[in-house]
Amino acid sequence: MVYTTRQIGAKYTLDYKLYIEHDGKVVSPFHDIPLYADKEKGILNMVVEIPRWTNAKLEITKEDALNPIIQDTKKGKLRFVRNCFPHHGYIQNYGAFPQTWEDPNETHPETKAVGDNDPLDVLEIGESVAYTGQVKQVKVLGVMALLDEGETDWKVIVIDINDPLAPKMNDIEDVEKHMPGLLRATNEWFRIYKIPDGKPENQFAFSGEAKNKKYALEVIKECNEAWKILISGKAVDSKKIDLTNTTLKDTPTYKPDTVIPKAAPLPDAPIDKSIDKWFFISGSA
Amino acid sequence: MNRFIQQGAKFTSNFKQYLKLPNHNAGSYFHDIQLRNFENISNKNIVNMVVEVPRWSNAKFEISKSIPLNPIVQDTKKGKLRFVNNIFPYHGYIHNYGAIPQTWEDPTLAIASMDNLKGDNDPLDMCEIGNTGILSTGDIVQVKVLGSLALIDDGELDWKIIGINIKDPLANVVNDLNDVAENFPGLLAATKTWFRDYKIPSGKPKNKFFGDYKNVDETIQVIENCHKAWQALINNYDIIDYTDKPWINNSTNNTGFNDIQDTRLPDAPIDPSINTWCYLK
Repeated sequence: MVYTTRQIGAKYTLDYKLYIEHDGKVVSPFHDIPLYADKEKGILNMVVEIPRWTNAKLEITKEDALNPIIQDTKKGKLRFVRNCFPHHGYIQNYGAFPQTWEDPNETHPETKAVGDNDPLDVLEIGESVAYTGQVKQVKVLGVMALLDEGETDWKVIVIDINDPLAPKMNDIEDVEKHMPGLLRATNEWFRIYKIPDGKPENQFAFSGEAKNKKYALEVIKECNEAWKILISGKAVDSKKIDLTNTTLKDTPTYKPDTVIPKAAPLPDAPIDKSIDKWFFISGSA
Repeated sequence: MNRFIQQGAKFTSNFKQYLKLPNHNAGSYFHDIQLRNFENISNKNIVNMVVEVPRWSNAKFEISKSIPLNPIVQDTKKGKLRFVNNIFPYHGYIHNYGAIPQTWEDPTLAIASMDNLKGDNDPLDMCEIGNTGILSTGDIVQVKVLGSLALIDDGELDWKIIGINIKDPLANVVNDLNDVAENFPGLLAATKTWFRDYKIPSGKPKNKFFGDYKNVDETIQVIENCHKAWQALINNYDIIDYTDKPWINNSTNNTGFNDIQDTRLPDAPIDPSINTWCYLK
């Protein structure tokens, strides 16, 4: 399974689009890439959006055909996350599980909040810094339930199966054992990361506790089921998500001949120096 | 207009970055930059800093003591380029890190008031905490002195001066360590933890400190002492009995440096293993 990327425009500009290709054919990272790389062995595919220690809020877009990765904008401006001391950018390789959907029409029985209308977010904790558009094979370790502005926004914790520590990491308790402090830092990071933009502190369900692997796999399964309904065209409200795909023959939005512009990559645009600012939030560290 | 002369590629052992003098010749970052600019000559708490390592990076760039004209090079250990480890939750250095020109931590002088510790034979180290952005290797900035830590590294005294770029928006309100604690909560504790632990992944023990943070006046005294030690190094060079004393410009050394050419190459790739995060129990 070899995935490559097709870039249009320069990173850190409004023109930037990064498509995912499989054997030279553009596929949707939302719909076409299989969630399970090897279901029996518990290996899942993850699409990396944001490399560790970087700030640009790159994400799979819901609105464009074949869902390229673009940089999120807020009021027409490119969005970068702030550095909240002692952290630098994102502290994990951040991305999404393909073929999942946090259904905004459904209220979760335990978090009592609706889904955030996105694919499931994934935090990959291995030692390597990943690259945008990378499709990693990962194993699931646990999940945290962030409540971001009233919506459930699960953060699934995984590790790359090729990481040197992967053989020793099998469930959530192994994370604290081998990476002491990481779960606490992750909790803090998501609670405070929007404070510099004038937003209140985020909350976690379950008192901030990370749920174990079994619970995480259940969340993934539910979101995969929600996506199946979405892609079949039967969702209560599909929220204008573009469902075009090039490999799912049984879906109404299967369009193998979708035309995507040729690769036209440009060198990364410079990032404004203000993005390097460190925000010191009293009482957090 | 380049403010320095570079030879070789960054992140290789051939890399050398020389100060460029106003006459476009190469100069020494150690000796040819004043401790204080003329306009601040009476303002003892503002000093110059030569940036060696930008915040959030790992390559251990430093002013060479031995190479003529003291270019910035990447330190090596057993023939390998040196990178500092990422100590969780930190990424690389947590300050813009560099040196104060025309200072020298005298390795020949035992300081009686500090358990007879001797200096580490380097210029004083400066940790710049400002938020004017990430500074670049070879940048020369004026920094307001706020305090210091006396690190004991392998039995040698290695002062870490804490300062803020005078161009920082907060520079006017940050005058001492209390102001740092108020405006940069957590930073002083993190700085201590960082210097205590940063060599643990390479098999070294925790570093120790002589006492706790020193205030502005004590720190200015340290800088004055190290500036005097540097003046003595320059004035009494030939009679200083120390094997690895730094290279200086003098009549016997100063020949043939007017033809140092810029032969810069694009940065070499950095080994991805540098990105590993080290978790300490």
